[in-house]
Formats: sequence, structure tokens, C-alpha cells
Amino acid sequence: MKKLLALFVALTLIAAACGNDDSDSSSEPEGGDAADAGDAGDGGDGGDGGDAGDGGEAAGDEPIQIEMWIAFNDDARLNFTLDRAAEFNAAHPEYEVVVTPFDSYNTVFEQTALAMDAGNPPEIIHFFEAATQDALDAIDANGDPIFKSVTEAIAGRTEILGEPVVLDDVASAAAKYYTIDGQLYSMPWNTSSTTMFSNMDILNEAGITTPPATWAEVEAACEAIAGLPNPPSEGCITWPNHGWFFEQSLGQAGVDLANNGNGRDARATEISLNSDAALEYVQWWSDLEDAGSYVYTGTQRDWGGTAAAFNSQNVAMLVYSSSDTTVLTEAGTENGFEVVSSFMPYNQDREYVGNLIGGATLWMTNGLSTAEEDGALAFMNFFSNPENAALWHQVTGYIPITNSARAVLEAEGWYDENPNSAVASDQLDAAADTPASTGALIGNFVAIRDVVTAAIEDILVNDADVTERMASAQDEAQQLLDDYNELFG
Amino acid sequence: MLVAASFLIAAAVGVLSFGHSTKREVASGVVLGALGAATILAALGFCPFVSDAESTEGVLGVALAATFAWMFGAGTKAVFSQKAADLGSGDIRTGAFKLGWWWPWLLLSPTLVILVFFLYLPAYRTFTLSTKLTRLGTPRVGERCLSNFSELLVTNPAVVIMLPLTAVAFIWGVGMWHRRSEPGSWGHNLTRTIRPFGILIFLYSLYFIFENENGGYRLIYLNTVVISSSIVIVSMVAGLALAYLTFQNVRGITVYRTLLIWPYAISPPVAGILFFMMFNATGGIFAALANDFGFDFPNYATNSTLARLTIILASVWKLLGYNLLFFLAGLQTVPRDQIEAAALDGANAIQRFRSIVMPALGPIAFFLLITNLTFSFFDVYGTIDFLTKGAPAGATSVAIYELIRVGVDNGDLGRGAAQSVVLFLAVIGLTAWQFKQSEGRISYGSA
Repeated sequence: MKKLLALFVALTLIAAACGNDDSDSSSEPEGGDAADAGDAGDGGDGGDGGDAGDGGEAAGDEPIQIEMWIAFNDDARLNFTLDRAAEFNAAHPEYEVVVTPFDSYNTVFEQTALAMDAGNPPEIIHFFEAATQDALDAIDANGDPIFKSVTEAIAGRTEILGEPVVLDDVASAAAKYYTIDGQLYSMPWNTSSTTMFSNMDILNEAGITTPPATWAEVEAACEAIAGLPNPPSEGCITWPNHGWFFEQSLGQAGVDLANNGNGRDARATEISLNSDAALEYVQWWSDLEDAGSYVYTGTQRDWGGTAAAFNSQNVAMLVYSSSDTTVLTEAGTENGFEVVSSFMPYNQDREYVGNLIGGATLWMTNGLSTAEEDGALAFMNFFSNPENAALWHQVTGYIPITNSARAVLEAEGWYDENPNSAVASDQLDAAADTPASTGALIGNFVAIRDVVTAAIEDILVNDADVTERMASAQDEAQQLLDDYNELFG
Repeated sequence: MLVAASFLIAAAVGVLSFGHSTKREVASGVVLGALGAATILAALGFCPFVSDAESTEGVLGVALAATFAWMFGAGTKAVFSQKAADLGSGDIRTGAFKLGWWWPWLLLSPTLVILVFFLYLPAYRTFTLSTKLTRLGTPRVGERCLSNFSELLVTNPAVVIMLPLTAVAFIWGVGMWHRRSEPGSWGHNLTRTIRPFGILIFLYSLYFIFENENGGYRLIYLNTVVISSSIVIVSMVAGLALAYLTFQNVRGITVYRTLLIWPYAISPPVAGILFFMMFNATGGIFAALANDFGFDFPNYATNSTLARLTIILASVWKLLGYNLLFFLAGLQTVPRDQIEAAALDGANAIQRFRSIVMPALGPIAFFLLITNLTFSFFDVYGTIDFLTKGAPAGATSVAIYELIRVGVDNGDLGRGAAQSVVLFLAVIGLTAWQFKQSEGRISYGSA
């Protein structure tokens, strides 16, 4: 009885708190902007998902805050973002873009899920490609989508707040990946592909003049390198155990990862981790490890450890993301060896179809006021304008995200001086236009990738049987997809 | 069929837990047991018994009904016996506040509010979540009944129920035999040697009830038992040994003590980073040193045994200072005169340690055992995350690491909640066992 009383008091408090929330959001005024009356898409969203930051609209002197969460906290990439935000804030004093860095895509993904649940997500969120389906499906407590299609929000405008819109100019591989139902829901930003980096000093010493292009050539090169009097201390080749490489190999073989056109014609309901092409790749990988050529660092998604092994010349070749082309090339120069970038090696027994992109895009939250929305859109388009996109490419190695940015770089003669930087764009251009080489859209993709890497780790470390282990990974992944589709499908 | 079985078992458990000396007690036990079973089964909507009769889920349903029957029976008994004791004893143990019945509740209310909002409600939410399929931001929620739990277990329901029961029956039988046999007889001696291993036999039987298919929970169970128990045993033994050493009067002993206690001030993730810096095979300090001397430093990240040892080492190092601190404090309370008297009587150092120092340290050791267990079950997360991330192939993924991976990283709230319930039950069970073991053995000096 007495406990009940205490509980009752507590419940009343909660009820009161909830009640306040509701009245707040329903009485939210949505500024009447005559200038944007043409935006048919906006009308329906008014009122819901009220945002606490709206006060700035009325005040005028207080800049409107645009919060941006990004998954980069390394100096080069974070500073690039902070510099662009500062430039934008200087050019548009009525806005203040605030950048919050996180240590990984997964962290941003988790934190966003929590922020969405709490009802206060930031305006702009940096999501990786694997989270695309999840972002599309995400809804808030009222059942409204969390994100708003960028194409829809731009609504055909060619400039916003004086910043030219670059959305239509996005490089075709990225546009293909992220276009869903004919529109870009998010603004493409950092886009890369998997490329190989070779220590040419070691390769030349072993009598190899061009980096190996196929699996057989990799094996041959590794044999030659192992025969050197002083071979690299750890082994011949390495790459991170990341689901992305597995997906790339399927793209190369032209095999879909999921049904319904890799999830692009309709929601994917069946996944296939143990197709012949998949088994061939994992078997090759495992054989390469058994032969002592492939070096496994022992940690999944180990970008740092694999790059360190390459930079310190403990391995001769590194399959990696083109995102670090500039850094890897420079590190080679500093450590006194020549780095040459080339396409990701493929299976010579299968017809090469094409590699796909990886990376991330910027998503804009739904339910923003018109002023906030325009600020977010203007910033995202400014962020990837030709000059900024070209600079971004030069600092990192991500492909120039727009065609005009690439034109700027070509005019500058950048590629003649830095041939490694052209490899990712060339590889993506060489890909056929098929669902397999575009990449899959799957719900719960992040967890499914973990199933793939866990299985491969088991195969590499514990010598698990490839066919059996991939079959059980297949069951696990299918279960994850079924669960997801039960909730969202 | 299973519904009837659960109520029968529940009634029996109710009687066993409540008492069976009079007819009235038996009747109350039956009612309480049935009530307990009905409560939980109704809350679940009798869902464990919907599918085919012989599923692991059904067995779990029966076990759940029996557990609630026991809670109701034993709980009511405890309340009654407390009241009886209050009435029977001459001491004044109850009273009333002059200001009214609500006064104590008012004084208790801040604590109660905190308990309700930060402990009971989240715990209740965890239990309800564990029967669902859900993620953050979903338009709907899937009902999973007990399948989030049965997935962790082998599919054969007979194994799930019979193995632990057999183990318990065996241990119980050994205890019975021990009590009934003549002291000095071979049976008495045999059972005395077997008895301390009862917990190991039980833990070993549990090993076989967890799913062993790839991605199954058996590996996680093994990791947790091996890593957690090693951390606790090694850190306590080493802590006591070091405390005994630093208790001696040596020049500069305070410096040694301070240095030894230092690691306690470091957080588990930092401990993980430190050991990563030392043992990492590509860029670690030891790898570089080994290289200079022409050795090949083994890579702990690709070797299950080494990876587990590294986690244990890092955690022990981190815990050592804490244990040392408490054992040192405990050693100050050991009566000097008794030790001197024993020494005069001719007891050697080992005898003095066993008969005088150890008993005096009992309460401290028990306290440390509980806190160390908590550390090794929960706080070890930070060390693992920075040192191995559960690698290689899940060999260092303990229960807390796995449940955060599933529930937070993968966003599968239902399965994560189910795993946290399993961990909760394990820790409750272990703590209860500890208390039972230490009953009467540890003297806090008053009685």
C-alpha cells in the first residue's frame, strides 16, 4: 500500500513531464516563409517533431545553430570539416555550423539511434553507406521519418542562400549507389573504393615491375617476394578483415549479395553469403593466409594495424580504402619507398564486372524549420562545391565527389603529378552498371557485416572449414535480416 | 500438458520451500506455488507452451514457473518466520513512530525513489525487453516469448533440464553421504575430497546446455568462467602475497606500497591501452625488444590462449592494488600478541599464517571476493575493448562484452536484454552461493 503510494507519486511526476512535452511541440509555430511557398514537399511536415533550437529564428541576432555529427576525429579530416564550417559561418553570420566528431561510423550510428529515441538528433548526420537502408527506415516516436530526402528538400532550386546546388553533379558511381526511388535522400560526401597499394621497392627487388592485378598474380608475386634474401618481416600482403572487401569481391564477380536486385528493386529479403563467388573469395583469402602470404593482424576492421604494417615495410602490399591514398603515398615517401596504387586484385577465372563505392553521406533531419533546413542544405552544398570537393580529395584520397571538382583537378594537372589519386575514380568508372557492382541495400547491414567478419576470423585463426562456416554465417545473417524486415518491412 | 506439469512442479516446489510439517503448511505451500507459477505464466500469456510440447522454450517455461513458485513459497516463509522471531524473542525489535505510520516512509522516500527509478524500473524494463524483438526507432515490436533465451541453449530440451539437475542431485547426494557416514571411514574421506569440487561439477554441467553451433553462447560461457575466475583467483592470491610482503618492515616500504597501489587509480580502458602498447605484436614495446634480441614475439591477437592470458594479466594488474590495499588494512588488525604467543609455542610461519592470519582476514577476503567478482564480470569490458575487442574469433568475448556487442553495437535490444538477464542470474547465483559457503565460517568478531 505504502509502496504503491510512492510509486503513484512518481508516476504522477512522469505523467506531468510527458504532458508538458506534448503541449510544447503541438503549439510550435512554423514560420510562414513566402519565399519558399513553392516547396510542395514541405507542407505536410509542419508542426511535428518540434525542435528545441527553433528559438533562434525569431531572435535574429542569435545565429541559428546547425549541428553536424561526423565520424572522423583524425586531424586531417576533422580539421578540413572544421575549416569549412568556419568559412561557412563567416560567410553566413546568421548561421552557426557546430561540428561534433565521433571516433567511428558505428559510434555515430549508435549515438544517433539514441539521440533519435530521445527526440533531439542533430541537423546533419554523417552516415556510412551500410546504414543507408536503416536511415531510410528510421522513424521517430510519432512515426514520422527521421530524415528528409535532400532532393525533395532542395526541390529543384539551383542555389540556396547564395550557395550553388551541386547535387545534380555528383559522380556517377556515388549517385548510383545512393539514388533510391529516383532521388538522393542524402548528400554524398566521402566516397572511396578499395584499391591496392604496393611497395614498389620490394616488388622491384623481387623482379616485379607492375603491381599484380589478379589473384593468381598476387600469389606469384608473393612467392617471388618470399624468395627474397630479406623478405618483409611479417609477410607479403594484408588488408583489414572488413565486410566491405567481401562485398567488393562479389561486385567484381558480378554476384548479388541480396535478392530483389541487391535490394534496389524492392526491399531485400534474402541474403547470400555463401554463393560460389563468395566461397571462392574466402577460400582464396584463407589459402593465402595458410601459405604465410596474407598477414592477419588478429583484429576485425583493423585499419590502423594493417596500414602500420605497410608503412613500416613489414608487408609489401596492402589492399585498403582509397580514402587514405594521400596519406599512404606520403608515408611511403617519408619512409623511403615508392608506393604505387592499383585496382583491387580480382579472380582471373571470372569475368570482371566492377568494384563498388564505400564511404558515407550527409543526412538531414526531418521536421526542421525552413530557416534551419535551408541553412543545412546550403552548408552541405557549400561543403562539396568544386573547390572544397577538390581540396577534400587532395587531403585524403576520397574521389572528387562532383564532376566539376574532378574537372578542376584535371585542369590543375593534379593527376599527372599524383597518379595514385586517379586510381579509385578510374576503377569506379571501369565498373559495369549492374546491381552487383552498384552495391547492396540491406537492412541491419552493420550487424550482418559483423557476422561476415566473425566467420572469416574464425576461418583465418581457427582454420574453420570455409563452406561450413560460411553456411552458418549465412543462417545467422539471414536471421538478422528476417528480424529487421519483421520490424521495418 | 506442459501447463499441467508446470503447475504440478510449482505446487511441489511451493511445498518444499514453504514447509510440510503440518497439513496447513502443505496446503499453503501448494497454493503459494501455484500462485507463483500462475503469476509469471499469466504475465507471459502462457506463450512458452504454444509451440510443440518438447521445445527448449517449454522447458524454460516450466523452470520459470518453478522459480516463481519457490520465490513465493520461500518469500512468504521468510516473512512469517521473521514475524515469529520478532514475537518470540524478548528483544524489542519492532516499534511504531509517534508521528504516524507514514513518517518512516517519508524518511525512506528519497532512497525509494532512487531505487525505483534507477534500479527496479530499468530491471523490469530489461526483463520485458528480453521477451521481444526490437530496436531503437522501429515502427513495431516483435513478440519473442522466451526464444531470446532458448536460442542461447542447445535445442534438446532434455539436456537443458536434466544436466544441471543431475549435477545438483549428485552434489546433494555427496553431501548427504558425507553427513551420514562415519568420520574416518573411506566414504567420509572420499566425499570430503569431492565436496569442494561441487561448484566445478555444476559449472561443467552448464557448459553443455549452451548452444555450441557457430555463434553459440557456449564459447561466451567458457570465456566468462575461465577469464573471470582466473582474474579473481590470481588477483586475490597475488594481492595477499604482496600485502604480506609489504607488511614487513623494510627500508622504504611506503614507497613500494604506494607504487603497488598505483594501478588501482587507472581505469580499465587505460589498463587495456597500456597492455596493448606493451604486447602488440606489430608495434609493441616487447615486440621491439624481442626483435632486438632476435626473438619472434608471439602475436596474442591471433592466439586464443595468449589473448585470454593477456586480458587476465591486464585485469589482475589493475585489481592488484585494490586487493593489496584491503589486505594491508586487514593485516593491521591481526592480533600481534596471538602471533607472538603462537611463535613462542613453536608454530612455524606457515602454521601461524594458516591458523591466525587467515581467519582474521576472513571478512576482508570475503568482501574482496564479491567486489573482484563484480569487477571481473562487468568492469572487464573496458580492458577487453581496448586490448582485443573479443578477438580472436570470440575467444576473449565474455558475457558483458557479448551483450554490449549484441544489444548496443548491433542494436538488437531484445537479445541484448536476454543476455543481460542471463548475466544477472549468474551473478545472483554466484553471490548467493558465496554467502551460503561463507555462512558460519567467517567471523566478524562480534559473536
